[in-house]
Amino acid sequence: MNRVSTSLMRSWARAGTRFLPFADAATEDLPLARLLRLSLFQVSVGMALVLLVGTLNRVMIVELNVPAWIVGFMVSLPIIFAPFRALIGFQSDVHTSRLGWKRVPFIWKGTMLQFGGFAMMPMALLVLSGGGNAAQWSPWVGWVGGGVAFLLVGAGMHMIQTVGLALACDLAAPEQQPRVVGLMYVMLLMGMIVSALIFGTLLVDFTPALLISVIQGAAVATMFFNLIALWKQEARRPSRGGEDAPPERAPTFRDAWHSFSAGEPGAVRRLVSVGVGTMAFSMEDILLEPYGGKVLHLTVASTTKLTATFALGGLLGFGLASRVLSRGADPYGLARRGAMMGVPAFLLVILAAPFDSALLFALGTLAIGFAAGLFAHGTLTATMNSAPIAQRGLALGTWGAVQASAAGVAIAFGGAMHDVINGAVPQYAPAFGYTSVYSLEVVLLVATIVAMSPLLRRSKAAPEVTLSASAPALP
Amino acid sequence: MADDTRDDPNRVWPTGLTIREAEELHKHVIDGARIFFVIAVFAHFLAYVYSPWLH
Repeated sequence: MNRVSTSLMRSWARAGTRFLPFADAATEDLPLARLLRLSLFQVSVGMALVLLVGTLNRVMIVELNVPAWIVGFMVSLPIIFAPFRALIGFQSDVHTSRLGWKRVPFIWKGTMLQFGGFAMMPMALLVLSGGGNAAQWSPWVGWVGGGVAFLLVGAGMHMIQTVGLALACDLAAPEQQPRVVGLMYVMLLMGMIVSALIFGTLLVDFTPALLISVIQGAAVATMFFNLIALWKQEARRPSRGGEDAPPERAPTFRDAWHSFSAGEPGAVRRLVSVGVGTMAFSMEDILLEPYGGKVLHLTVASTTKLTATFALGGLLGFGLASRVLSRGADPYGLARRGAMMGVPAFLLVILAAPFDSALLFALGTLAIGFAAGLFAHGTLTATMNSAPIAQRGLALGTWGAVQASAAGVAIAFGGAMHDVINGAVPQYAPAFGYTSVYSLEVVLLVATIVAMSPLLRRSKAAPEVTLSASAPALP
Repeated sequence: MADDTRDDPNRVWPTGLTIREAEELHKHVIDGARIFFVIAVFAHFLAYVYSPWLH
């Protein structure tokens, strides 16, 4: 690297220390510039997420006229891979490599899968729409093509995120972890927001050729971001026992799972609360905008601002959580407070319908985003803190598996529950279908609060653990 | 990297990798090429279905 770019990067890093809330994450071991670079993998994951559930969802239905049930099926395919995150994380823990890398090979494979999926996806979508000559072929060609493309992207995305988070956890010193978690979440959100805006602008005048260049551009961007993120990050630990030693017998997933769930008290309880809490915070995901439109009669422009309000709440939540947790607060306590805050937030959204108040709705949306930010940050930090060093991949993989599956199931269930209830009691439609989903979320939040209280008491019983909550509980 | 690796007779310079390490990297390159070959064949097939060689 030449002198100019070195000094440029230094000045960026200095500017960052001054203007970014996460500057404290940078110590001698892990400077901010390197941490920001690593977090680029979250940008590529955010981009893939937006493209799958947002942009392509719309393009397939509006521009390509693909039937809605096929679109729904394709978009939900990546969820199939969510439970395998635990297995991927475990495999990266026990991966033996002559080069001494545990995480890089998996992030690289994930990058190739996501790249490959995006590279063939536009052709698959065009065939799926039956355009061009495709109508002469069996529809199965399009279904299989689209399915393979979506599966590849989904598998790659889950792989990159799971192992990437494990790598971040490896690199960060224990007291840095809350800030690292905050930065990772913020970069995911930024990746989603920025790429949604970019894809939206690029695809205004839709043509098939444009679709091909935009999606394949996303493929190249994935490769680009992840290469920069990975470059010189993971230290090489040359193989244990020298060149010619036979590879150690790796523990099986079953062994690792037993020692993981027995090693730390409350591991299973923590996963259950993460699952229930995530369901509570994600069921409204696709219902907030139509609620604003149909019940409160907001315009399209103002419901779009609503999504921004939700994201803003999330950013504030991540920021506050990073600050509080790095001062040594108990991450379980913070997550539980997030769940507690969610209850009045959902009540505000429910009350917006009888009062016909857009203000109550906006406040409620902001508060839901904020509370969800606190909850997500608290649970991920707790997971990182309590993960034994040899099982970090497994711990973060299980967290991700529970979190992603719960969110996927909750979103699908919320949509279905709204349809069924509004169909069953049409005299109360449209508001009742929405408010009953929100009420269920309040119930789930209360369940989360109850499920989490023993975790809290456990850390209160040992005050020295609470005080140094950001230090790892056990090696 | 520690200084003693410079004198390690198993390492081949300029990369400083041992033969086995180089073989592992090579395996990743070959696997990547195979995966992309399959994806490219599939993508070409789909492109042919949509528009047979742009006719």
